Amino acid sequence: MAVTVCSPCADHLFTPKAHPSRVNLELLLLILVIGTAIAFDFTNGFHDTGNAMATSIATGALKPKVAVGLSAILNLVGAFLSVEVALTVTNAVVKLQNSSGAPNPELLVNNGHELLMIVFCGLIGGILWNLVTWLLGLPSSSSHALFGGLIGATAAALGLGGVNWMGDGTKLDGVLGKVILPAFASPVVAALVATIGTWLVFKITNGVAERYAETGFRWGQIGTASLVSLAHGTNDAQKTMGVITLALIAYGVQTDTTSVPLWVKFACAFAIAAGTYTGGWRIIRTLGKGLVEISSPQGMAAEASSAAVILTSSHLGFALSTTHVATGSILGSGLGKKGAAVRWGVAMRMVLAWFITLPAAGIVGALCFWLGNGIGGYAGPLLVFAILLGLAGWMIMHSRKTAVDANNVNDEWHPDATPGASVAPETAAIKA
Amino acid sequence: MFQLFGNAIGQVVAVSVLVGAGLPALFAFGIRALAAGEGGSAEVSGVAGKPAMKVLAWVVFALVLAVIAVGLAIIVSSGFGYKVSFDHIFPTFIKK
Repeated sequence: MAVTVCSPCADHLFTPKAHPSRVNLELLLLILVIGTAIAFDFTNGFHDTGNAMATSIATGALKPKVAVGLSAILNLVGAFLSVEVALTVTNAVVKLQNSSGAPNPELLVNNGHELLMIVFCGLIGGILWNLVTWLLGLPSSSSHALFGGLIGATAAALGLGGVNWMGDGTKLDGVLGKVILPAFASPVVAALVATIGTWLVFKITNGVAERYAETGFRWGQIGTASLVSLAHGTNDAQKTMGVITLALIAYGVQTDTTSVPLWVKFACAFAIAAGTYTGGWRIIRTLGKGLVEISSPQGMAAEASSAAVILTSSHLGFALSTTHVATGSILGSGLGKKGAAVRWGVAMRMVLAWFITLPAAGIVGALCFWLGNGIGGYAGPLLVFAILLGLAGWMIMHSRKTAVDANNVNDEWHPDATPGASVAPETAAIKA
Repeated sequence: MFQLFGNAIGQVVAVSVLVGAGLPALFAFGIRALAAGEGGSAEVSGVAGKPAMKVLAWVVFALVLAVIAVGLAIIVSSGFGYKVSFDHIFPTFIKK
């Protein structure tokens, strides 16, 4: 008879036969968590392809398929480069773990049942928000969606006290310091940098034939966009790796809090790369065509600004959302060029989406927890999972009506169009 | 909290403006010089090329590449738990 160590009370041994049904329920939960985490990582990839590649696609510096391919490879490389363990990723917003990464003991009862449920529901909130915003063609931060979901599920499970609202005040921490304040500041900073950069670039190249400059700047664009992709891979894949490892520790199959299992690393790296390659074309279109009519010099200035802001902030130890930075940069590249049109209506829709990311994902996370936990047993989590599959399927079907893909991503933007529904009706008809 | 944030964001603004706007500007100088070296249709004025400007252009592009290499070093090293220190002006790797 196999003998296993019971994880909530690690010091005494029991045989799996002792309480087999519980172990099986938590095993199911663990599998659901791993599956939804990898699915979240995939949505994270395609939601953010545009951050790095939208400008290169819009100016024709790279063919759409080449751009997403390059970005996918760089995300894959980036994901493998993140050797440092991101096990404490949830600590920024919720109190589920201590500072070393070990889950709180009271959450580990019954093979980590409660913790697995919280993480599962939080991931669902994140995925659904990513899909809704993708359907609407709006870039929004995947990290904020994940954090929102986790905050909601944690608040539903442990009460509002389980949420890390502002840390202990000695450093930038909590929902306020790590999510809300950066969300307000990062687009403004990025826009400022890109505005200055664009203005300088046009000032300096005044007198150079437009076509000659356009060709030269394409190279600069590709280089800077690649840098943004690589930085994205190192930052974002790590978060999902951390979440899966946390679930493994909660269930009791992993005890080491200083490393991520190799298969987790592989799964997350390939999920984010595959997502990136799928290309969130609706979002790429909004960023590349909807916000500003962009030229190569503007594209280079925008991506250089994004790369600089992302790398500087993560170097200083407080990570900014790639999405907020990239959007701000593209906006700035429109502000810095004389006579360039900036579509403020599109910009305002994005800002609105950012405001509601955290509460929207949070509400979904909380509702899932109440529903799944309320029903309990096997039925609760399975029902919640079925709801996720149903809503995701509906949104994917709905997206087909106005499909955006590599062929029509660069079509002319209708002045009164809204993101996501921005493809001309006749184009949509041909697609259908 | 707000003061901490103000300090952090201030630093980000200072460095990002320097690098994020400076790098495209530097690259633009390279393009400007390259066009001057090429002359003819590369320039709006259509004046003849000055080959020496091409050399200057490639020196500028090399400088741009060097800055990008530092960016790469920051990404890669942070993944391995190191950070790039500018304490001695020349970038060096230190353990986080």
